[in-house]
Amino acid sequence: MPAASQDSFQERKRRLRASFIEQLPDRLRQARALLADLTSTGRQDEPLTQLHLIFHTLKGSGASFGFNAINASAKEAEQMLREVIDGDRRISAPLLADLRRHVQTLEELELTVDSAMGNDSHPCFDLRRQANADAELTAHNRLIYLCDDDPLFAQDLSEQLQCFGYQVKPYHALDDLRTAVLTQRPAAVIMDIIFPEGRDAGPTTIAELNTQLDAPIPCIFISQRDDFQARLRAVKANGRAYCRKPVKAVEMAELLDQLTSRGNPEQYHILIVDDDPDVAQFYAMVLESSGMVSRVVSEPERVPTVLEDFDADLVLMDLYMPHCSGPELARVLRQIPGYLGLPIIYVSSETDAQRQFKALEVGADGFLTKPIEPERLVTEVHLRAERMRTLRSLMIRDSLTGLFNHNTILQLLKVALASCQRSDRRLCLAMIDVDRFKSVNDTHGHQTGDQVLMALGRTLRLRLRESDIVGRYGGEEFAVIMTGLDAEQAKGIMDALRESFAAVTFLADGTEFHCTFSGGLAAFPEYSDPSALIEAADAALYRAKHAGRNCILIAHHQDADGVSALTHSS
Amino acid sequence: MHILVVDDDPLVGEMTLAMLEEAGHQVQLAEHGLDALERLSEDASIELVVSDLHMPLLNGLELFQELRERGLQQPFVLLTGDDPAPLLAREPGLSACLAKDAALEQRLSELLAQF
Repeated sequence: MPAASQDSFQERKRRLRASFIEQLPDRLRQARALLADLTSTGRQDEPLTQLHLIFHTLKGSGASFGFNAINASAKEAEQMLREVIDGDRRISAPLLADLRRHVQTLEELELTVDSAMGNDSHPCFDLRRQANADAELTAHNRLIYLCDDDPLFAQDLSEQLQCFGYQVKPYHALDDLRTAVLTQRPAAVIMDIIFPEGRDAGPTTIAELNTQLDAPIPCIFISQRDDFQARLRAVKANGRAYCRKPVKAVEMAELLDQLTSRGNPEQYHILIVDDDPDVAQFYAMVLESSGMVSRVVSEPERVPTVLEDFDADLVLMDLYMPHCSGPELARVLRQIPGYLGLPIIYVSSETDAQRQFKALEVGADGFLTKPIEPERLVTEVHLRAERMRTLRSLMIRDSLTGLFNHNTILQLLKVALASCQRSDRRLCLAMIDVDRFKSVNDTHGHQTGDQVLMALGRTLRLRLRESDIVGRYGGEEFAVIMTGLDAEQAKGIMDALRESFAAVTFLADGTEFHCTFSGGLAAFPEYSDPSALIEAADAALYRAKHAGRNCILIAHHQDADGVSALTHSS
Repeated sequence: MHILVVDDDPLVGEMTLAMLEEAGHQVQLAEHGLDALERLSEDASIELVVSDLHMPLLNGLELFQELRERGLQQPFVLLTGDDPAPLLAREPGLSACLAKDAALEQRLSELLAQF
């Protein structure tokens, strides 16, 4: 409609509304015809669904076009039909009468374009103000106060946390912190326990502050003390976390991320396996209503395939299923690399302790007995999923950067490669290495070196797609697995990252410096097994270093000779 | 911004299109999910998708999942006649899920201002 775009918006709206009014009788005639076919005997799924769709569309378009009267009537009719479709699908005489009445109401509406146009001018100042307030809130979300009587430590940790995108203000004296909190409320406070004022002065100060504030301030306590008394004090002062010194910046950043809920707090993914779809849907509904994400599978044999793209935190499975029982399925899963640690909970009406125990023996983590109340289901699943995440993250993550560790990245490469082989998708492995990292350590010290690694890890994690896998391969070497891209596309992405990392300014002892990295890329299917990919990517990385660093090179089979030549010459 | 609007109801689709063009965007209209998929895989310049949920063949949610499966990462805004909250909970990857009601125009323009 080329002419249309030249009209004013108001004109176009008017024209569209006129067409909508024109078309309405036709839509209602269709509804009438369907209604006439429906009788109060037997199941008529097809016309029922069609009728529902008509009302659903009317509801949506009525609202979009500003005809509130349409919206109201269509909404009621749609709701009735939804209930029937979700329920026993039986059509009663009163229901038919109600639906006819709604169609009639809609037919009798006298719609005019002008009445709808009149609805357009809504006051919107409040909404705007709200949006601004939200924006300010996000900015404040990064402001953190850190209070520790050791100025060097406070300064150091503050600087490290800046690398994670937080604005951290260090304080050494309790009084200064108190004034600061009362003047401008931060998103969170990181607080030491022991101060010259007393062995519990940290928590005491926070507890006092909380009495003066509208809402308690989110607080993380840090201390050398690890006794119960200290921990109890911290909890009583509403401490959300307790970290023993020495504190790792990356852990602290993770805690702050949770506390200030930056990004989405990740929802737990629960896989439900039950041969009865109704039961499974019920569990799904209960879990989803408490904010978890669930996927339902009714055939056990589909579970491994589903798990490949549904990254489950926990599997809830029925104990008795035809063809494949819960314990059998658990055993199958435990034999697949990568699922050894996946928590499995059985749900069953089995109350015999002996038999429950037998079922648990094959490596499941718990037992829920039917009938199970919704609240208990949510609590049990949530607790286990939460603990699992924490445990898993300790096992599989590198403690400095929070990225996957060496063993995990190897494991993940195997899994990703196998999945790409099956689905015939591309995969790229990039090995990257910080240039002249040793000289950074020698010149500025290890703490600065660590900051460079943390910053690189953070850049990789934040800038790459969620589906990309990032790990610290060792030392200053990182590995990135990207699926669905060819080598050239992956190179494009890595080059962009390389440039933005090179632009980051690091500060150490008052001097500024920059860091770069080099990378080697190898792609599947050209290299078809994990070790060939790693070897090729490493070789390309080696060439990149020799080509003058700060660049990304792609591995190809014909390069092999060139690489070995270089190896010999050096 | 270059936006693709997907709606099987041509009138509603054009209304959304008019709204977005008024806000200064360059907009294309696809009449169903498959049409949208085709356009998105051919035209890399599309920066954002605004799609209806209820559509025959491929609904809005399936379209979103299919796009992500294919590695297309454009922000995706879903419009629905129902309550958007459960949808968003089910598919947290969505940039937003908006209810089709009288305030849609207002909320959509506010949302787009953030991209």
